[in-house]
Amino acid sequence: MSDQFALLPGYLLAHLQLSLLALGTGVLVSIPLGVFVVRHPRIEGAVLGIAAVAQTIPSLALLALMVPLLAALGTWTASALGFELHSIGFLPAWLALALYSVLPMLRNTVTGIAGIDAALIEAARGVGMTERQRLVRVELPLALPVIVAGVRTATVWVVGTATLATPVGATSLGNFIFSGLQTRNFGAVVLGSVASAVLALGLDGLVRALERGLATRRRRLWAGALLGLAALYVLVVVSLVGAAGTAERSIAIGSKSFTEQYVLAALLAQTVEQAGGPGVRRVESLGSTVAFDALRNDELDLYVDYSGTIWATILGRTGLPGDRATVLAEVRTRLAEDYGIGIVATLGFENSYAIAMREDRAAELRIESLGELARQAPALSIGGDYEFFARAEWTALESRYRMRFAQRRSMDPALMYSALEQREVDAISAFSTDGRIAALGLRVLRDELHVIPPYDAIVLASPRFQREWPALVVAVAALEGRIDAAAMQQMNSAVDQGGELPAAVAARFRAGWSADP
Amino acid sequence: MIELRELSCAFDGVVAVDRVSLAVAPGELLVLVGASGCGKTTTLKMINRLVEPTSGSVWIEGRNAAELPGHELRRRIGYGFQQVGLFPHLTVGENVAIVPQLVGWESERIRARTDALLELVRLDPAEFRERDPATLSGGQRQRVGLARALAVEPNLVLLDEPFGALDPLTRDHLQQELLRIRRELELTLVFVTHDMGEALLLADRIAVLEAGRLVRVGTPRELLAEPGDARVAELLATPRRQLQRIDELLARGEGP
Repeated sequence: MSDQFALLPGYLLAHLQLSLLALGTGVLVSIPLGVFVVRHPRIEGAVLGIAAVAQTIPSLALLALMVPLLAALGTWTASALGFELHSIGFLPAWLALALYSVLPMLRNTVTGIAGIDAALIEAARGVGMTERQRLVRVELPLALPVIVAGVRTATVWVVGTATLATPVGATSLGNFIFSGLQTRNFGAVVLGSVASAVLALGLDGLVRALERGLATRRRRLWAGALLGLAALYVLVVVSLVGAAGTAERSIAIGSKSFTEQYVLAALLAQTVEQAGGPGVRRVESLGSTVAFDALRNDELDLYVDYSGTIWATILGRTGLPGDRATVLAEVRTRLAEDYGIGIVATLGFENSYAIAMREDRAAELRIESLGELARQAPALSIGGDYEFFARAEWTALESRYRMRFAQRRSMDPALMYSALEQREVDAISAFSTDGRIAALGLRVLRDELHVIPPYDAIVLASPRFQREWPALVVAVAALEGRIDAAAMQQMNSAVDQGGELPAAVAARFRAGWSADP
Repeated sequence: MIELRELSCAFDGVVAVDRVSLAVAPGELLVLVGASGCGKTTTLKMINRLVEPTSGSVWIEGRNAAELPGHELRRRIGYGFQQVGLFPHLTVGENVAIVPQLVGWESERIRARTDALLELVRLDPAEFRERDPATLSGGQRQRVGLARALAVEPNLVLLDEPFGALDPLTRDHLQQELLRIRRELELTLVFVTHDMGEALLLADRIAVLEAGRLVRVGTPRELLAEPGDARVAELLATPRRQLQRIDELLARGEGP
């Protein structure tokens, strides 16, 4: 747990950077927009409607949508304006959260100003105020409590939602939650949640103190709150500017959101560092396609993917795959030719989708193969990770084995195994290298029709990485064939069951490997 | 001082004020009187352009009121109305000081002026300057409103039923105060009311409006002597009838 606490200052600062800049942007957009809308009632409905629609998009989806949107925009700015946009990391999270914060502040600005007693507006005009004077001297001060209530709502929303920025590559307190969920480190999940809640309450308290101080004319109160907020903004801006300088020269290593990926990313980072590479930046818990898109845009330099995943989701192949070597060769050619991405190393193990059952349940039903499962499936239920039922493998299972389950449930991979243990589902989609297969004594069903494609673990490198760091390419290429399935299962198990940190497990593995002749 | 020429106003095609022409002499107190919806408030608000005329013009001291930006025009004309509209986030003193601030007086001059105005409307500056408007009675609020309207020493003041919501005793007090202040400051006043009794008590001249048209203008004495119109006679009859009834009741009370 103390290793987790060591990460707290960094994650907290990143969370603060993201939340405060998103809120600041939201305030700068929504309050002037609210004032404008009050003065132009004809567009009020349309503007509030658009903001409300942005609000109804689930926050995780809004964050995820920013990535392809920025990637498309980035292609345009690169050709038309000569600069590129980062489609993962801080920028998409910042924009999505800012957008998310607009509605409560916009709506409260509008209702706050529109709700002012008509007699006061008449008095303001009657004494000879201009529109601007009326706004500054009468309308904004009187609407302030309502506007601040909107700012406080937005603050709590944004700080909470910022924990969901992790999958688009922005560091936040959500890193505790996402990686904790995947590596069964619930202490980390609690730490991330509590820290984010405390941060939300703290910022909310500062905004509230500012408003109370202004409303009751207590100078010390509002000046203190304002000073506190200003200090936080200075901290955020200074730290961001400082980081911007180093980010350009560092190597970004990505990982998706499951244990094996954290271990392999740590392994890659250690390999690069030992080979004397520049600073390494870890971008964790990325969505699957987010990681690939980031790599092809040179925003990530290295991450581990699987030949079958690229085959199905990137190359869009649905046909029956050939053998392991054919798939790998085809993926290698297409990645290089279409995207400039290189396969620097084939690690030596496969992590394929597999269907697993409890040993006792499988014995009871006499199921050993997928064909046998398919015959009894109409009476059974299956659990799968979030993407499984949308993947080509599942479609192939359905069409080739005529698999029809009584019930299917999508769930978090970390929870899938407990669901199976507690007999809430009869079968699950598992990864063949998952340490929990051995630990829980699960039976992996035979794919007698070879429907599931091979999933060789491959280290992918961005075009920039291959171009600029040939020496590091060689260092990473030395990982070729170094990890077999048993070793990977062991490492996963050390994290999932043993509660060790991915970095520690990776370091131990490298130490043993270096000791080899 | 002021001249209204063929002044008209229509809202969405409905005529509220129909070609009203009227002149107010310097130092005169003119009362616009009529039933609800007769256009008296609209007429008043066209003078300081809180409402823009549809046609016609307003001339103040020989200048067309349309030449100035509306807010500058309004800073030179005092304006008060029934709800007063004191700003709740400002103190009494700050409310009175608002126009001097808008026109950029120095703070020392503003402070002196605020105290002088509070004294003029018979509110002790030491007691009332820092008060919150919410703590004032209706009559006190109207006094502060009047002080605010007089802040930059306007020659012309427009009042829209300022005493309409006050109890009769307070109203009577404030009517007397208004007459005193206008004499002291030699103000030109246009005063709107629907109460003919109030009009007769205050006015140098009364202008009677009906359905947006000016039907009769004259001194109270002239109007009482010669209403000239059945509706005007009816309006004038009401306060007289009330007085008569009070006399009768008093007479009955004195009887055996």
